[in-house]
Amino acid sequence: MTSATRAIVSGLRGARRSWGLGVFLLALNLATALLLAIPLAATLSRELHARPAATSMAHGFDFPWWGQWAESGPGWQKSLGPDLLGAGFAFKNLDLLLKGQLPAGLFAVRDPEGARALLVDPLLLTIAAAYMLVQVFLAGGVLSVLRQVQGRWTVRGLLHGAGFYCGRFLRVWALMMIAAGILFALYAPIARWADAQAREAVSESTAAGWLLGHHAAMLLALVFLHVVGTYARVIIVLEERSSATLAVLSGFAFAVSRLASTIVITAALGALGLAALWMWQAFDQAWMTTGFRSQILTLLMMQALLLARILLRVAFAGALMDLYRRDAVESVPVTLVA
Amino acid sequence: MRHRRATLGLIALGVALPSVMARQIVTPPSERMQLPPLPGPDSGLPPIPERSPRNANYRIKARLDAEAHRIEGLLELEWRNTTGLPQSTFPFHLYWNAFRNNLSTSARGQGRRAARGDDPRRWGFTDVKRIASSADGGVEADITGTLRYVQPDDGNAHDRTVFEVTTPSPVAPGATVRFHVDWTSLIPHGALGRAGWVHDYHFIAQWFPKIGVFWKGAWNAHQFHATTEFFSDFGVYDVALTIPAGFVVGATGALRETRDEANGSRTLRFYQEDVHDFAWTASRRFLEKTGRFESAGYPPVDIRVLLQPEHEDLAERYIEATRVALKAFGAWSAPYPYAQITVVDPAWGSGSGGMEYPTLITGGAGIHAPPSLFSPESVTIHETGHQFWYGLVATNEFEEPWLDEGFTRYHDRKAYNLAYGARGSGERYFGLPGRSLSGWPVVAPRVDVGRGYDIVGGLRRNGRDDVMARRSWDFVGAEAYGVNAYGKPALSLQTLEGLIGDEAMTRVLRTYGRRYRFAHPTSEDFIATVNEVTGQDWRWYFDQTWFSAEECDYAVTVRNARQRVAAGHVDGPAGPAPGAPVAGDAGEDGRPFESEVTVQRLGGVKLPVEVRVDFSDGRSVREGWDGQYRWKRFRYTGPARVVAATVDPDRRIALDVSPANNGWVEETGHAGRAASKWAMRWMFWFQHLLEMHAVLG
Repeated sequence: MTSATRAIVSGLRGARRSWGLGVFLLALNLATALLLAIPLAATLSRELHARPAATSMAHGFDFPWWGQWAESGPGWQKSLGPDLLGAGFAFKNLDLLLKGQLPAGLFAVRDPEGARALLVDPLLLTIAAAYMLVQVFLAGGVLSVLRQVQGRWTVRGLLHGAGFYCGRFLRVWALMMIAAGILFALYAPIARWADAQAREAVSESTAAGWLLGHHAAMLLALVFLHVVGTYARVIIVLEERSSATLAVLSGFAFAVSRLASTIVITAALGALGLAALWMWQAFDQAWMTTGFRSQILTLLMMQALLLARILLRVAFAGALMDLYRRDAVESVPVTLVA
Repeated sequence: MRHRRATLGLIALGVALPSVMARQIVTPPSERMQLPPLPGPDSGLPPIPERSPRNANYRIKARLDAEAHRIEGLLELEWRNTTGLPQSTFPFHLYWNAFRNNLSTSARGQGRRAARGDDPRRWGFTDVKRIASSADGGVEADITGTLRYVQPDDGNAHDRTVFEVTTPSPVAPGATVRFHVDWTSLIPHGALGRAGWVHDYHFIAQWFPKIGVFWKGAWNAHQFHATTEFFSDFGVYDVALTIPAGFVVGATGALRETRDEANGSRTLRFYQEDVHDFAWTASRRFLEKTGRFESAGYPPVDIRVLLQPEHEDLAERYIEATRVALKAFGAWSAPYPYAQITVVDPAWGSGSGGMEYPTLITGGAGIHAPPSLFSPESVTIHETGHQFWYGLVATNEFEEPWLDEGFTRYHDRKAYNLAYGARGSGERYFGLPGRSLSGWPVVAPRVDVGRGYDIVGGLRRNGRDDVMARRSWDFVGAEAYGVNAYGKPALSLQTLEGLIGDEAMTRVLRTYGRRYRFAHPTSEDFIATVNEVTGQDWRWYFDQTWFSAEECDYAVTVRNARQRVAAGHVDGPAGPAPGAPVAGDAGEDGRPFESEVTVQRLGGVKLPVEVRVDFSDGRSVREGWDGQYRWKRFRYTGPARVVAATVDPDRRIALDVSPANNGWVEETGHAGRAASKWAMRWMFWFQHLLEMHAVLG
């Protein structure tokens, strides 16, 4: 069994053992989203009250009603639209990521007047940024759980681990944000150049290659940054490193030295994620959500997809931890002193 | 083992057979449309003119230098004086001078086709080297010295899109004058404008010096603005194009002759009678596909599609969409009279897509073209539809853009709803900014955009910016032009159809399309046709819609209450006496209901409307209201309460900018269910957005 395969298996086992942790993280995610989902439901209920559009929206999508409502509602509520249906939500979020809108529009392209063009309402970006910091805090706890052989966890243990590594993980996060900023700054002229090549291409096929190509390249670069950041955190937890900077540098070095294995792990778990998304899309196209009973099933399927995504994130961290633990530890020569 | 093989075979057959059968029994969209039958000879409709006035006939010889992107041209224009007055001054259009520099009127305008020059390749021009005239049998006189540029619209001395020349002697009414023009053109790069080159793709339109139209007692030759289109007279076009070897050429008309030249180039001669313009295209990359439109009662039409190689799989979709338009528009006005039509799939990077020329259109599609988003069907139906209004009726697009664009938009939405059903909704990601058909399409499942609803939003946002009936360049901005040239007239015609009925509307458009074929009619001509066919005066309707910026918006509210129990003083045997206290509207004591349905006119447009009122006992009534005052109240007393009320239940008034307030229903929990369903959907997206943040950094 190759080290990559062992790491993948180990990561998935770790996620399975810690499924309760996944549920906890899901609950946190759900609670955050409900902060706005509940007011949105109230608004929709009020706007649809005594309107025929209520029936058409309950059984389908009333385009004329939505078109008018979307013009008049508060900013963040306008993000409700048909582009969220099916797998559209995933494309939308990926598009926002690649346009530097996440987090908080920090890396968004500036307009000629120097202002950043935000494509998502600032309220949503603010909540998401706060959520991100909470996840940075919890990451130490998650890795502490994964570090244990038995993988059991308690909330107290999770928070203890989170608090213990919080300072160093925040510094790692800050360094990765700086790295992401540099990456987006480098990407902007490359994207403009690639777009210019696309514009001048003779055929649309060639143009599509340029366009999808530079988007894919940027996505891979962001994935690599995430890998480096994860390794840095793994190194801090496994070796109790105090320097975030050195941990990031070690993480980068390890990622490069174990590039093939890292790619296999990332690709395998990414493929599982895509498979889950594909299953969701098939369900969404086949299943009509109308009344409260069908909505409950749809909600369960939605949360199941999110739980799968969270567990894959945990599994990914676990797999990288396993790879590092085996390869980095095994590669250190042990000298026995008689 | 044998049983397993047999079972697998049966399963495979069961999977394959339905799809094979489905392919065989699917009816093409052009054949599944329910259209009114073509009128018979005794329909009472005006006869279709067999030929146009042919008062502006062009014989053109042009040579394309594909490397230098230049055209050298010689034209002979035979112009017959049908004005009734002697004429000695003649205006001509030189449209490409809009791209001469950044001082032209077009370059100073708004809109996506405004001639902008941040790329030096985008400059272009047409330069008349020599112009001469000769009267019937007379000597040719060089009148180049009389050439002067004029700017009748805005006085911009730098704009050279219109010039005038003067003949040595006046051309008498009924006489013919021939103009011989020797010109050279620099073809602009074609990323923005309708004409231009990208790589070896050349789309050549509005490319030759074109005489103005003597119309309503005066010469009509407007400058080219950022939002204007075109206006010209009918004639015969006989055009010889000399093109380098290896190019595939498409053009207005039929190919009459091909001749190989000594230097390796090729001359192709195209000919078409009774058209008012000539456009052409040449590219080495074109893939040619052909089809044919044949339907009982319609003249057959050869369809030639020139495709980009990467769009080869869209050939049949282009052809079928062309058939849909030829059949539908032919049924609603009069059949397409020409023997052929060329459909050009524009090159990547070209701005030539989505445009119409006589017997030639440009479409547009992406390599990822989900059928539910109707690309290329939508643009193909629209541009083919232009053949019937722009092409055959030929209104003044400068001064009354809605008579072409609005009419075409009204019919194109009707045609593809009949042929293909409601269009879907989708987004494209990871594409090129400014290129709407680039990127990866993601279609929203089970979302239908009904007829007209994709343009009501524009009317809501920009409908009050301007009166609809204004000259193309007189709108406050490009969005106002778009709404008033396309959306509002289309919805106003859809509303007129709702008010007078589909049958009457078809008769109106058939009468108008036939009577004014080749005749350059105006809005007044159309209004007069409506009045004639319906036998009523509809001037009031057009005054409120075409000649107004007012909005149309109707709303309905309902109040149900139990009949009151008397309180206060009531009649007693000895005069007024105290009655029982008011019980209000609570209680289940069987008192009848007193229901009020209030219809309000929130906009300035006054139209008669219907209101459908549904009761809890299953009864339904329809009320009429003339819409003159601001509101009207209908009262009902009875054992059943009102459970629903809808103003304009048949959606005849497409102009209503706020369809959301057109109905009231008794709340039965649907609002709550819909709210939770869609809030949950939104939450699902937001949850994923949050989870994406968990992996940042």
